[in-house]
Amino acid sequence: MSEIDQATDPAAMIEAYYDAGWTDGLPVVPPSDTSVAAMLAGAKLRGDVTVGEIHGRNAVVTAESLAINAVMAGCRPEYAPVLVAAVKSLCHPDFAYHGPASSTGGSAMVLIVSGPIATELGINSGHNAFGQGHRANATIGRAVRLIMMNALNTKPGFLDRATFGNPGKYSFCFAEREDTAWEPFHVSRGFGADESTLTLYASNSLQQVYNQLAATPEAVLRCYADALYNLGSPNVYGFNQSLVVMGFEHADVMRANRWSRRDVQTFLMEHCRRRVADLKRAARLPDDIAPEDETTWRYAFESPDDLLIVCAGGAGSWSAVLPGWGKKWTRAITTRIE
Amino acid sequence: MKMFDPTTKRMGPPRLPLAPRPASLHGLRLGLVDNRKVNSATILEKIADRLAAKHGTRVSVRDMKRSPSHEIDANAVAALKRDADLVISGVGD
Repeated sequence: MSEIDQATDPAAMIEAYYDAGWTDGLPVVPPSDTSVAAMLAGAKLRGDVTVGEIHGRNAVVTAESLAINAVMAGCRPEYAPVLVAAVKSLCHPDFAYHGPASSTGGSAMVLIVSGPIATELGINSGHNAFGQGHRANATIGRAVRLIMMNALNTKPGFLDRATFGNPGKYSFCFAEREDTAWEPFHVSRGFGADESTLTLYASNSLQQVYNQLAATPEAVLRCYADALYNLGSPNVYGFNQSLVVMGFEHADVMRANRWSRRDVQTFLMEHCRRRVADLKRAARLPDDIAPEDETTWRYAFESPDDLLIVCAGGAGSWSAVLPGWGKKWTRAITTRIE
Repeated sequence: MKMFDPTTKRMGPPRLPLAPRPASLHGLRLGLVDNRKVNSATILEKIADRLAAKHGTRVSVRDMKRSPSHEIDANAVAALKRDADLVISGVGD
Protein backbone atom coordinates (compact mmCIF):
# COMPACT_ATOMS: atom_id res chain seq x y z
CA MET A 1 0.00 0.00 0.00
CA SER A 2 1.24 3.49 -0.76
CA GLU A 3 0.93 5.97 2.05
CA ILE A 4 0.62 9.41 0.51
CA ASP A 5 -1.01 11.65 3.03
CA GLN A 6 -2.67 11.65 6.40
CA ALA A 7 -6.13 12.85 7.33
CA THR A 8 -8.54 12.21 10.13
CA ASP A 9 -11.74 13.65 8.69
CA PRO A 10 -13.53 11.38 6.17
CA ALA A 11 -14.90 14.40 4.31
CA ALA A 12 -11.39 15.84 4.05
CA MET A 13 -10.17 12.49 2.78
CA ILE A 14 -12.82 12.50 0.04
CA GLU A 15 -11.64 15.98 -0.94
CA ALA A 16 -8.06 14.72 -1.01
CA TYR A 17 -9.03 12.06 -3.58
CA TYR A 18 -10.60 14.80 -5.69
CA ASP A 19 -7.44 16.89 -5.36
CA ALA A 20 -5.33 13.93 -6.48
CA GLY A 21 -7.42 13.57 -9.66
CA TRP A 22 -8.50 10.04 -8.80
CA THR A 23 -12.28 10.33 -8.99
CA ASP A 24 -14.84 10.17 -11.79
CA GLY A 25 -16.43 13.38 -10.54
CA LEU A 26 -18.46 11.69 -7.83
CA PRO A 27 -17.16 11.24 -4.29
CA VAL A 28 -15.25 8.02 -3.72
CA VAL A 29 -15.15 5.75 -0.69
CA PRO A 30 -11.73 6.24 0.92
CA PRO A 31 -10.10 2.80 1.14
CA SER A 32 -8.57 1.38 4.28
CA ASP A 33 -6.16 -1.49 4.87
CA THR A 34 -9.12 -3.58 5.94
CA SER A 35 -11.35 -2.81 2.97
CA VAL A 36 -8.57 -3.30 0.42
CA ALA A 37 -7.57 -6.60 2.02
CA ALA A 38 -11.20 -7.74 1.96
CA MET A 39 -11.47 -6.84 -1.73
CA LEU A 40 -8.31 -8.81 -2.52
CA ALA A 41 -9.73 -11.75 -0.58
CA GLY A 42 -12.91 -11.42 -2.64
CA ALA A 43 -10.82 -11.55 -5.80
CA LYS A 44 -8.82 -14.49 -4.39
CA LEU A 45 -5.64 -12.76 -5.56
CA ARG A 46 -2.44 -11.41 -4.04
CA GLY A 47 -1.96 -7.68 -4.48
CA ASP A 48 1.09 -7.96 -6.71
CA VAL A 49 -0.57 -10.24 -9.27
CA THR A 50 -1.01 -8.69 -12.73
CA VAL A 51 -4.67 -9.02 -13.70
CA GLY A 52 -4.29 -7.43 -17.12
CA GLU A 53 -1.96 -5.39 -19.27
CA ILE A 54 -2.43 -3.20 -22.33
CA HIS A 55 0.52 -4.10 -24.51
CA GLY A 56 2.47 -1.20 -25.88
CA ARG A 57 0.91 1.25 -23.46
CA ASN A 58 2.95 0.55 -20.35
CA ALA A 59 -0.42 0.11 -18.68
CA VAL A 60 -0.96 -2.61 -16.11
CA VAL A 61 -3.77 -3.47 -13.73
CA THR A 62 -2.53 -5.22 -10.61
CA ALA A 63 -4.87 -6.93 -8.18
CA GLU A 64 -4.00 -4.22 -5.68
CA SER A 65 -4.99 -1.39 -8.02
CA LEU A 66 -8.16 -3.28 -8.93
CA ALA A 67 -9.01 -3.64 -5.25
CA ILE A 68 -8.32 0.00 -4.39
CA ASN A 69 -10.46 1.26 -7.26
CA ALA A 70 -13.20 -1.22 -6.40
CA VAL A 71 -13.36 0.03 -2.82
CA MET A 72 -13.37 3.62 -4.07
CA ALA A 73 -16.31 2.79 -6.34
CA GLY A 74 -18.31 1.33 -3.46
CA CYS A 75 -18.10 -2.34 -4.44
CA ARG A 76 -18.61 -5.18 -2.00
CA PRO A 77 -15.77 -7.76 -1.90
CA GLU A 78 -17.93 -10.42 -3.52
CA TYR A 79 -18.12 -8.27 -6.66
CA ALA A 80 -14.37 -8.55 -7.18
CA PRO A 81 -14.44 -11.68 -9.41
CA VAL A 82 -16.69 -9.78 -11.84
CA LEU A 83 -14.13 -6.98 -11.95
CA VAL A 84 -11.31 -9.44 -12.58
CA ALA A 85 -13.24 -10.78 -15.57
CA ALA A 86 -13.90 -7.23 -16.75
CA VAL A 87 -10.21 -6.29 -16.60
CA LYS A 88 -9.24 -9.47 -18.46
CA SER A 89 -11.79 -8.51 -21.11
CA LEU A 90 -10.50 -4.93 -21.33
CA CYS A 91 -6.98 -6.27 -21.86
CA HIS A 92 -7.95 -8.96 -24.39
CA PRO A 93 -6.15 -8.29 -27.70
CA ASP A 94 -9.38 -8.58 -29.69
CA PHE A 95 -11.07 -5.91 -27.59
CA ALA A 96 -8.27 -3.62 -28.78
CA TYR A 97 -8.58 -1.28 -25.82
CA HIS A 98 -6.95 1.78 -27.33
CA GLY A 99 -9.71 2.53 -29.83
CA PRO A 100 -12.88 2.21 -27.77
CA ALA A 101 -11.20 3.76 -24.73
CA SER A 102 -9.73 6.82 -26.43
CA SER A 103 -11.93 7.53 -29.47
CA THR A 104 -13.90 10.72 -30.03
CA GLY A 105 -16.88 8.33 -30.18
CA GLY A 106 -16.86 8.21 -26.39
CA SER A 107 -17.83 4.60 -25.81
CA ALA A 108 -19.40 3.31 -22.65
CA MET A 109 -17.98 0.01 -21.49
CA VAL A 110 -21.14 -2.06 -21.37
CA LEU A 111 -20.85 -4.95 -18.89
CA ILE A 112 -23.33 -7.80 -19.32
CA VAL A 113 -23.37 -10.40 -16.55
CA SER A 114 -24.87 -13.79 -17.39
CA GLY A 115 -25.31 -16.91 -15.30
CA PRO A 116 -25.97 -17.74 -11.66
CA ILE A 117 -23.68 -15.07 -10.20
CA ALA A 118 -26.01 -12.33 -11.40
CA THR A 119 -28.69 -13.41 -8.94
CA GLU A 120 -26.17 -14.17 -6.20
CA LEU A 121 -24.78 -10.64 -6.37
CA GLY A 122 -28.11 -8.91 -6.91
CA ILE A 123 -27.22 -7.49 -10.30
CA ASN A 124 -30.42 -6.05 -11.69
CA SER A 125 -31.76 -7.48 -14.93
CA GLY A 126 -35.34 -6.29 -14.65
CA HIS A 127 -37.08 -2.94 -14.28
CA ASN A 128 -34.68 -0.04 -14.83
CA ALA A 129 -31.89 -2.46 -15.73
CA PHE A 130 -29.77 0.37 -17.15
CA GLY A 131 -30.77 2.86 -14.47
CA GLN A 132 -30.08 3.81 -10.91
CA GLY A 133 -30.90 2.12 -7.65
CA HIS A 134 -28.93 -1.12 -7.56
CA ARG A 135 -25.58 -1.17 -5.82
CA ALA A 136 -24.04 -4.01 -7.81
CA ASN A 137 -24.94 -2.49 -11.17
CA ALA A 138 -23.83 0.99 -10.16
CA THR A 139 -20.58 0.14 -8.43
CA ILE A 140 -19.26 -2.64 -10.69
CA GLY A 141 -19.60 -0.42 -13.74
CA ARG A 142 -18.14 2.51 -11.86
CA ALA A 143 -15.16 0.48 -10.68
CA VAL A 144 -14.30 -0.51 -14.24
CA ARG A 145 -14.26 3.13 -15.32
CA LEU A 146 -12.14 4.12 -12.31
CA ILE A 147 -9.70 1.32 -13.17
CA MET A 148 -9.53 2.68 -16.72
CA MET A 149 -8.93 6.22 -15.49
CA ASN A 150 -6.49 5.45 -12.70
CA ALA A 151 -4.71 2.17 -13.44
CA LEU A 152 -4.82 2.43 -17.25
CA ASN A 153 -4.34 6.20 -17.29
CA THR A 154 -7.34 6.78 -19.55
CA LYS A 155 -8.21 10.23 -18.27
CA PRO A 156 -10.64 12.59 -20.05
CA GLY A 157 -8.74 15.05 -22.21
CA PHE A 158 -5.62 12.88 -22.14
CA LEU A 159 -6.01 9.35 -23.53
CA ASP A 160 -9.80 9.64 -23.43
CA ARG A 161 -10.61 12.05 -26.27
CA ALA A 162 -14.41 11.67 -26.33
CA THR A 163 -16.23 14.48 -28.10
CA PHE A 164 -19.25 14.14 -25.81
CA GLY A 165 -18.83 10.89 -23.97
CA ASN A 166 -22.10 9.62 -22.58
CA PRO A 167 -23.62 8.99 -19.15
CA GLY A 168 -22.86 5.29 -19.51
CA LYS A 169 -19.20 6.16 -19.09
CA TYR A 170 -19.83 6.59 -15.36
CA SER A 171 -21.20 3.07 -15.08
CA PHE A 172 -22.96 0.59 -17.35
CA CYS A 173 -23.54 -2.86 -15.92
CA PHE A 174 -26.62 -5.03 -16.05
CA ALA A 175 -27.56 -8.70 -15.93
CA GLU A 176 -29.30 -10.85 -18.48
CA ARG A 177 -32.86 -11.90 -17.61
CA GLU A 178 -32.99 -15.59 -16.81
CA ASP A 179 -36.54 -16.15 -18.09
CA THR A 180 -35.65 -15.44 -21.68
CA ALA A 181 -37.03 -16.77 -24.91
CA TRP A 182 -33.81 -18.53 -25.77
CA GLU A 183 -30.77 -20.15 -24.28
CA PRO A 184 -28.76 -17.76 -22.09
CA PHE A 185 -26.53 -15.32 -23.89
CA HIS A 186 -23.34 -16.81 -22.50
CA VAL A 187 -24.39 -20.30 -23.60
CA SER A 188 -24.83 -18.91 -27.11
CA ARG A 189 -21.20 -17.77 -26.83
CA GLY A 190 -19.91 -21.21 -25.93
CA PHE A 191 -20.08 -21.31 -22.12
CA GLY A 192 -21.94 -23.73 -19.90
CA ALA A 193 -25.32 -22.86 -18.45
CA ASP A 194 -23.98 -23.31 -14.92
CA GLU A 195 -21.06 -20.95 -15.57
CA SER A 196 -21.17 -17.21 -15.08
CA THR A 197 -19.63 -14.75 -17.52
CA LEU A 198 -18.92 -11.10 -18.05
CA THR A 199 -19.28 -9.74 -21.56
CA LEU A 200 -17.57 -6.44 -22.30
CA TYR A 201 -18.90 -4.44 -25.21
CA ALA A 202 -18.09 -0.89 -26.35
CA SER A 203 -20.99 1.26 -27.44
CA ASN A 204 -21.18 4.99 -27.92
CA SER A 205 -24.96 5.31 -27.87
CA LEU A 206 -28.17 3.78 -26.61
CA GLN A 207 -31.57 4.16 -28.22
CA GLN A 208 -34.72 2.80 -26.67
CA VAL A 209 -37.09 1.35 -29.25
CA TYR A 210 -40.85 1.34 -28.67
CA ASN A 211 -43.46 -0.84 -30.30
CA GLN A 212 -46.61 -1.67 -28.38
CA LEU A 213 -48.75 -2.92 -31.29
CA ALA A 214 -46.61 -5.47 -33.08
CA ALA A 215 -47.70 -9.09 -32.88
CA THR A 216 -45.17 -10.37 -35.38
CA PRO A 217 -41.38 -10.56 -35.10
CA GLU A 218 -40.93 -8.78 -38.41
CA ALA A 219 -42.79 -5.69 -37.24
CA VAL A 220 -40.80 -5.40 -34.02
CA LEU A 221 -37.50 -6.05 -35.69
CA ARG A 222 -38.05 -3.49 -38.43
CA CYS A 223 -38.01 -0.87 -35.67
CA TYR A 224 -34.73 -2.23 -34.35
CA ALA A 225 -33.22 -2.26 -37.83
CA ASP A 226 -34.23 1.35 -38.44
CA ALA A 227 -32.71 2.45 -35.13
CA LEU A 228 -29.49 0.53 -35.76
CA TYR A 229 -28.88 2.09 -39.15
CA ASN A 230 -29.92 5.72 -39.12
CA LEU A 231 -27.89 8.14 -41.22
CA GLY A 232 -25.87 9.42 -38.29
CA SER A 233 -25.11 6.01 -36.89
CA PRO A 234 -21.54 4.75 -36.57
CA ASN A 235 -22.91 1.60 -38.20
CA VAL A 236 -22.84 3.41 -41.54
CA TYR A 237 -19.15 2.49 -41.73
CA GLY A 238 -20.28 -1.10 -41.77
CA PHE A 239 -19.43 -4.33 -40.05
CA ASN A 240 -19.59 -3.20 -36.45
CA GLN A 241 -21.04 -5.47 -33.87
CA SER A 242 -24.26 -4.19 -32.33
CA LEU A 243 -26.06 -5.04 -29.13
CA VAL A 244 -29.82 -5.49 -28.94
CA VAL A 245 -31.30 -5.70 -25.46
CA MET A 246 -34.76 -7.10 -25.92
CA GLY A 247 -37.50 -6.37 -23.42
CA PHE A 248 -39.52 -9.39 -22.41
CA GLU A 249 -42.72 -8.21 -24.08
CA HIS A 250 -40.90 -8.16 -27.38
CA ALA A 251 -39.21 -11.45 -26.49
CA ASP A 252 -42.68 -12.88 -25.93
CA VAL A 253 -43.55 -11.95 -29.52
CA MET A 254 -40.51 -13.92 -30.68
CA ARG A 255 -41.38 -16.87 -28.46
CA ALA A 256 -45.04 -16.93 -29.56
CA ASN A 257 -43.95 -17.05 -33.18
CA ARG A 258 -41.20 -19.61 -32.54
CA TRP A 259 -38.42 -17.32 -33.68
CA SER A 260 -34.97 -18.31 -32.48
CA ARG A 261 -32.12 -15.96 -31.60
CA ARG A 262 -30.56 -16.89 -34.94
CA ASP A 263 -33.80 -15.95 -36.75
CA VAL A 264 -33.64 -12.53 -35.11
CA GLN A 265 -29.98 -12.08 -35.98
CA THR A 266 -30.54 -13.08 -39.59
CA PHE A 267 -33.56 -10.80 -40.03
CA LEU A 268 -31.67 -7.84 -38.63
CA MET A 269 -28.63 -8.55 -40.76
CA GLU A 270 -30.82 -8.59 -43.86
CA HIS A 271 -32.78 -5.45 -42.95
CA CYS A 272 -30.10 -3.19 -41.52
CA ARG A 273 -29.31 -1.63 -44.86
CA ARG A 274 -29.55 1.69 -46.67
CA ARG A 275 -29.31 2.74 -50.25
CA VAL A 276 -25.88 4.02 -51.22
CA ALA A 277 -27.51 7.10 -52.74
CA ASP A 278 -29.09 8.03 -49.39
CA LEU A 279 -25.75 7.68 -47.65
CA LYS A 280 -24.07 9.86 -50.27
CA ARG A 281 -26.80 12.55 -50.00
CA ALA A 282 -26.03 12.71 -46.31
CA ALA A 283 -22.28 12.81 -47.03
CA ARG A 284 -21.73 9.64 -45.05
CA LEU A 285 -20.06 8.18 -48.11
CA PRO A 286 -17.76 10.11 -50.46
CA ASP A 287 -18.19 10.78 -54.18
CA ASP A 288 -21.06 11.82 -56.41
CA ILE A 289 -24.27 9.80 -56.66
CA ALA A 290 -24.26 7.39 -59.58
CA PRO A 291 -27.53 6.11 -61.07
CA GLU A 292 -26.95 2.61 -59.69
CA ASP A 293 -26.55 4.03 -56.17
CA GLU A 294 -30.34 4.48 -56.01
CA THR A 295 -30.81 0.72 -56.13
CA THR A 296 -27.61 -0.47 -54.47
CA TRP A 297 -27.83 -1.46 -50.81
CA ARG A 298 -25.10 -1.07 -48.24
CA TYR A 299 -25.45 -3.42 -45.28
CA ALA A 300 -24.42 -2.75 -41.69
CA PHE A 301 -23.56 -6.35 -40.82
CA GLU A 302 -21.84 -9.13 -42.67
CA SER A 303 -22.71 -11.96 -40.28
CA PRO A 304 -25.65 -12.80 -37.98
CA ASP A 305 -23.07 -13.20 -35.22
CA ASP A 306 -22.35 -9.48 -35.42
CA LEU A 307 -25.67 -8.97 -33.63
CA LEU A 308 -25.51 -9.62 -29.89
CA ILE A 309 -29.01 -10.37 -28.59
CA VAL A 310 -29.61 -10.23 -24.84
CA CYS A 311 -32.89 -10.12 -22.92
CA ALA A 312 -33.37 -7.74 -19.98
CA GLY A 313 -35.70 -5.07 -18.68
CA GLY A 314 -39.09 -4.89 -17.02
CA ALA A 315 -42.68 -4.65 -18.21
CA GLY A 316 -43.34 -2.35 -21.14
CA SER A 317 -43.12 -2.46 -24.89
CA TRP A 318 -39.53 -1.33 -25.00
CA SER A 319 -36.24 -2.71 -26.14
CA ALA A 320 -32.91 -0.99 -26.65
CA VAL A 321 -30.33 -0.97 -29.42
CA LEU A 322 -26.72 -0.01 -28.82
CA PRO A 323 -24.73 0.43 -32.03
CA GLY A 324 -21.15 -0.67 -31.75
CA TRP A 325 -18.03 1.37 -31.97
CA GLY A 326 -15.65 1.22 -34.89
CA LYS A 327 -16.02 -1.33 -37.70
CA LYS A 328 -14.04 -4.44 -36.78
CA TRP A 329 -11.74 -2.35 -34.64
CA THR A 330 -13.05 -3.98 -31.47
CA ARG A 331 -15.00 -7.12 -30.59
CA ALA A 332 -17.16 -7.95 -27.57
CA ILE A 333 -15.25 -10.20 -25.19
CA THR A 334 -16.92 -12.77 -22.94
CA THR A 335 -14.86 -13.98 -19.97
CA ARG A 336 -15.70 -16.63 -17.41
CA ILE A 337 -16.15 -15.28 -13.87
CA GLU A 338 -14.03 -17.50 -11.63
CA MET B 1 -6.18 7.52 7.85
CA LYS B 2 -3.99 7.17 4.83
CA MET B 3 -4.57 7.54 1.12
CA PHE B 4 -4.31 4.60 -1.25
CA ASP B 5 -2.90 5.31 -4.69
CA PRO B 6 -5.22 3.73 -7.31
CA THR B 7 -2.79 4.36 -10.16
CA THR B 8 0.16 2.28 -11.30
CA LYS B 9 2.74 5.06 -11.18
CA ARG B 10 4.42 3.35 -8.27
CA MET B 11 5.46 0.54 -10.61
CA GLY B 12 8.42 2.64 -11.71
CA PRO B 13 9.54 4.05 -15.01
CA PRO B 14 7.92 2.89 -18.25
CA ARG B 15 9.16 -0.49 -19.35
CA LEU B 16 9.18 0.68 -22.97
CA PRO B 17 11.34 3.80 -23.02
CA LEU B 18 11.20 6.10 -26.01
CA ALA B 19 13.81 5.56 -28.69
CA PRO B 20 16.61 8.14 -28.89
CA ARG B 21 15.67 11.12 -31.02
CA PRO B 22 17.79 11.59 -34.20
CA ALA B 23 20.03 14.66 -34.20
CA SER B 24 19.35 15.25 -37.89
CA LEU B 25 16.85 13.97 -40.46
CA HIS B 26 19.36 14.10 -43.28
CA GLY B 27 19.37 10.91 -45.33
CA LEU B 28 17.43 8.87 -42.80
CA ARG B 29 15.42 5.76 -43.67
CA LEU B 30 11.75 6.40 -43.08
CA GLY B 31 9.10 3.93 -41.89
CA LEU B 32 5.40 4.68 -42.53
CA VAL B 33 2.71 3.02 -40.42
CA ASP B 34 -0.78 3.42 -41.86
CA ASN B 35 -3.48 3.02 -39.21
CA ARG B 36 -6.15 2.32 -41.88
CA LYS B 37 -8.24 5.38 -41.17
CA VAL B 38 -9.57 7.20 -44.22
CA ASN B 39 -6.83 9.37 -45.76
CA SER B 40 -4.13 8.06 -43.43
CA ALA B 41 -2.06 6.81 -46.37
CA THR B 42 -2.53 10.08 -48.26
CA ILE B 43 -1.21 12.13 -45.35
CA LEU B 44 1.71 9.81 -44.73
CA GLU B 45 2.83 9.85 -48.35
CA LYS B 46 2.64 13.65 -48.51
CA ILE B 47 4.73 13.94 -45.36
CA ALA B 48 7.21 11.46 -46.81
CA ASP B 49 7.45 13.49 -50.01
CA ARG B 50 8.14 16.68 -48.08
CA LEU B 51 10.75 15.05 -45.88
CA ALA B 52 12.44 13.60 -48.93
CA ALA B 53 12.54 16.99 -50.64
CA LYS B 54 13.75 18.85 -47.57
CA HIS B 55 15.97 16.32 -45.82
CA GLY B 56 16.78 13.59 -48.35
CA THR B 57 14.96 10.88 -46.46
CA ARG B 58 13.69 7.77 -48.22
CA VAL B 59 10.85 5.41 -47.37
CA SER B 60 12.28 2.03 -46.42
CA VAL B 61 9.32 0.33 -44.70
CA ARG B 62 5.57 0.60 -45.19
CA ASP B 63 3.18 -1.12 -42.79
CA MET B 64 -0.59 -1.15 -42.47
CA LYS B 65 -2.04 -1.90 -39.05
CA ARG B 66 -4.95 -4.29 -38.56
CA SER B 67 -7.05 -1.31 -37.48
CA PRO B 68 -6.52 2.06 -35.77
CA SER B 69 -7.40 0.34 -32.52
CA HIS B 70 -5.02 -2.60 -32.68
CA GLU B 71 -1.38 -2.42 -31.83
CA ILE B 72 1.21 -2.79 -34.51
CA ASP B 73 2.18 -6.31 -35.57
CA ALA B 74 5.38 -7.70 -34.01
CA ASN B 75 6.87 -8.54 -37.42
CA ALA B 76 6.33 -4.94 -38.50
CA VAL B 77 8.07 -3.72 -35.37
CA ALA B 78 11.04 -5.96 -36.17
CA ALA B 79 11.20 -4.64 -39.74
CA LEU B 80 11.00 -1.04 -38.56
CA LYS B 81 13.75 -1.60 -36.00
CA ARG B 82 15.94 -3.23 -38.62
CA ASP B 83 15.30 -1.08 -41.66
CA ALA B 84 14.10 2.33 -40.50
CA ASP B 85 15.70 5.20 -38.59
CA LEU B 86 12.52 7.22 -38.20
CA VAL B 87 8.89 6.10 -38.04
CA ILE B 88 5.72 8.09 -38.67
CA SER B 89 2.35 6.65 -37.69
CA GLY B 90 -0.50 8.47 -39.37
CA VAL B 91 -4.04 9.16 -38.31
CA GLY B 92 -6.39 10.18 -41.05
CA ASP B 93 -10.17 10.68 -41.07
